[in-house]
Amino acid sequence: MTDGPALIDLALGLGVLAAAGCALLPRTRFALATGFLVLGVVISLVWLRLGSVDVALAEAALGGGILGAVLVWLAVRSRPGAASDASDSRGRADGRVRTGLGVLVGVVLSVLGALVWARIYPQIARWQDPVAQQMPDTGVDHGVTAVLLAFRAYDTLLETAVLLMAGVAVMAVGRDGGLHQARIPVHPLSSTLVTMARVGAPVLLLAGLWLLFAGSSESGGAFQSGSVLCAMLILLRVAGVPLTVTTRRWMRPALAVGVVVFILAGLVGPVTGQPWLAWDPQWAGTAILVVEVFLTVGITAGLYMVYLGLDNPQGAP
Amino acid sequence: MSLTQSALGALVLLPLLVAAVTAVLPHTPRRTLGVGTALVLPVLLAPVLWSTAVDGDVVDLALGGYEPPLGIRLRADGLSAAFLTLSVVVGTAITAYAAVLPHSTGRRIVSPPTMQPEGPAGPGGGAQPEPAEQAAPADRPGVWRPGHPSFWPLWLACWSGLNAVFLSGDLFNTYVGLELVGMTAVALVALGGRSSWQAALRYLFVAVLGSLLLLIGIGLLVSITGTLDVLQAGAVLADAPEETRPAAVLALCLITVGMCLKVALVPFHTWLIPAHAGAPSAVSPLLSALVIKAPVFVLLRVWLWVVPAGEDLAVLTVVLSVMGAAAVVGGSVLALRQTHLKPLIAYSTVAQVGYWFLFAAMVGGSSSGSPEGLPGVDITEDDVVSSALVGTVAMALGHGLAKAAMFLAAGFLKDLYGTDEMDRLRGVGQHHPGLVMAMGLSAVGLAGLPISLSFSGKWMLTTSAVAAGHYWAVVVIVIGTILSAAYLVRAIAPLLVESEDEGTAVEVPEWQLEHASVLTQLPPLVLGLLTIVAGFGGALLGDLLTVGAPW
Repeated sequence: MTDGPALIDLALGLGVLAAAGCALLPRTRFALATGFLVLGVVISLVWLRLGSVDVALAEAALGGGILGAVLVWLAVRSRPGAASDASDSRGRADGRVRTGLGVLVGVVLSVLGALVWARIYPQIARWQDPVAQQMPDTGVDHGVTAVLLAFRAYDTLLETAVLLMAGVAVMAVGRDGGLHQARIPVHPLSSTLVTMARVGAPVLLLAGLWLLFAGSSESGGAFQSGSVLCAMLILLRVAGVPLTVTTRRWMRPALAVGVVVFILAGLVGPVTGQPWLAWDPQWAGTAILVVEVFLTVGITAGLYMVYLGLDNPQGAP
Repeated sequence: MSLTQSALGALVLLPLLVAAVTAVLPHTPRRTLGVGTALVLPVLLAPVLWSTAVDGDVVDLALGGYEPPLGIRLRADGLSAAFLTLSVVVGTAITAYAAVLPHSTGRRIVSPPTMQPEGPAGPGGGAQPEPAEQAAPADRPGVWRPGHPSFWPLWLACWSGLNAVFLSGDLFNTYVGLELVGMTAVALVALGGRSSWQAALRYLFVAVLGSLLLLIGIGLLVSITGTLDVLQAGAVLADAPEETRPAAVLALCLITVGMCLKVALVPFHTWLIPAHAGAPSAVSPLLSALVIKAPVFVLLRVWLWVVPAGEDLAVLTVVLSVMGAAAVVGGSVLALRQTHLKPLIAYSTVAQVGYWFLFAAMVGGSSSGSPEGLPGVDITEDDVVSSALVGTVAMALGHGLAKAAMFLAAGFLKDLYGTDEMDRLRGVGQHHPGLVMAMGLSAVGLAGLPISLSFSGKWMLTTSAVAAGHYWAVVVIVIGTILSAAYLVRAIAPLLVESEDEGTAVEVPEWQLEHASVLTQLPPLVLGLLTIVAGFGGALLGDLLTVGAPW
């Protein structure tokens, strides 16, 4: 190994540690949230460096993008000041014990995680041959998409259902069936930010669609696409674009459509004497694309619903 | 590709499809679809149960036609069939109850003048709507109304997740199924209104932590075996080289701790009490009877099918059985000290969880080296484990039926009278003979008195404990039985005894008593009767569990 790549890896590794420090040590919520955003960017770079473009995209979109947006929202909305209200000495001592315990648990879990990764790495070879054999049956060219929507489509279906139910849960604690929040106007932002948001939204739309349709042959797919499209919706809402009527009318159907289409597509198997979720290799690619399009709609709606749930679900002071 | 195999997939995917569809519909069609699903699921279960119980075959289905290790296999063996049956029977009864009594599904918040309540205004339904004022409805505080339409998508998805866990032949898929169960169970607790949100959030943290530990454990197992399939992983681990054993044991420890969190084994039980006691009347029975059975199932699967037993598990089995014994005794004592009905029943769940962990002692082997039987009877290690498994499963199933009936009855009384304080409910039993009978029957089941399913379970477990030389387990079971009889009498007796001081008794309007029709008392009564009747199926259960057993 030459010096150049090693230096890059070293720099990235130190960058992760520094960013993690920025995400944990500051005393104000806003600084913590910013540190978290930086951490997301650095970790995406690490994944890229490891050659996992799919994971890098997912990390950037979900871990950095959506979760970052939620944290920034919380930092802006909650009362300014220290992140913890451990003001008296006893609380501080408690806090120290908890921090120590947290660090200890974190270290143990990290070591275990590293152990798993180190041991799992040689096993990947065992999956290479069956994957190469069965790839032609899946109707897609990209390995990650084949795993997500052919070999382990059932897991993906249940995970999408978890997201759908998260959306339903957010609606359940809300007022008037849960879409009341969409009516609450957002706080006005500075005009520069609004312009930025309006310019950024079409770009995000394009990026989201590209990620969706690229997924069959390159890195990308419904999850990454859905989170980018959700980010677009958040930007539009923040920029004051009137989405209320659309949200109230289309949120529920959009939430459910991914899971419904997925299961109906899976039903083709038992109807034609095949197992559940089996698609004929001839049109499996088409089936997977259709399922992915609707999954993207469902994932976008689910994530956006969770974001809307950040506003007071009671809807009144 | 037989019809039975299709039914296997449909047991998971049909309720999930209906759950997604009901998320879009208004309240009344949600109930209709929910009841429809509850009618179809027993039909789907029948061929699976027939294949496993009568033909003695394991039913499996490689989804999408992709065989493991790449694909996922659904697999129904005897253990799956037993838990599936519980899920379908209890689920159907509770669906019927929730459909008849919509206000048992929680409380929702609505804007004051625009929405009218769908169900009859029950107790604690919040303030009456005021006439429209100048202020826009969106700016005024909402009012709480009984009944929550979100119950239907959430419960149906939870049902789907439970069946997914019980049918899964794949470790990672088990994790995904548990996530679906956990997510929906937390949301179902939150349907109880603002007062239950804190309990729901706490439950969420515990559930997520438990899942995370499970995931790390599964990752470790994959790293050793290179497969996620339960049977394949078990086969590889059985012949695995010695140096991978510590990793397998570590994985087993992580999974066990994660599942203990989810099942609320003492000392991880504190989240369970507010969550199960504060949940809506139709939700508490689901949580206690079904949701905590999913982690129990996963534990049995991993302990018996995946990681082979060995000397090095001795410490873990001792810790688990001590925690189990502490749960049986501690939970029962705490149940005795409760003044309210639903927390008492929740503590009873904590106590019952303990029994299922006495099982660990039998897996860990006998205390005296080799199993000792009666003279002339040759008892092997496998016999001890299999009889302990039958006993544990019988107790878990018996608890599911009885606890569902008990929580339904208690929730019904709480909804009707606006309180579940036992002193204030004195003598109300005379208005609801069917309900009190249901509680009595389920008390017999919970205490494990003869002819109930739990009695068969305790008998098998005791036999196994004696054969393995664990006499202390017998003592724990006897103490637990006596204490449970005591707290159950404490729960039910006040309902039958007229209040001496008329001032403390709760009054209830006549129209509400009329509303408490025979139909609403039917689900708890049926479940209570099943608790007793299922006792005759103890031997059948023993045969069923040999289908696809690891020995």
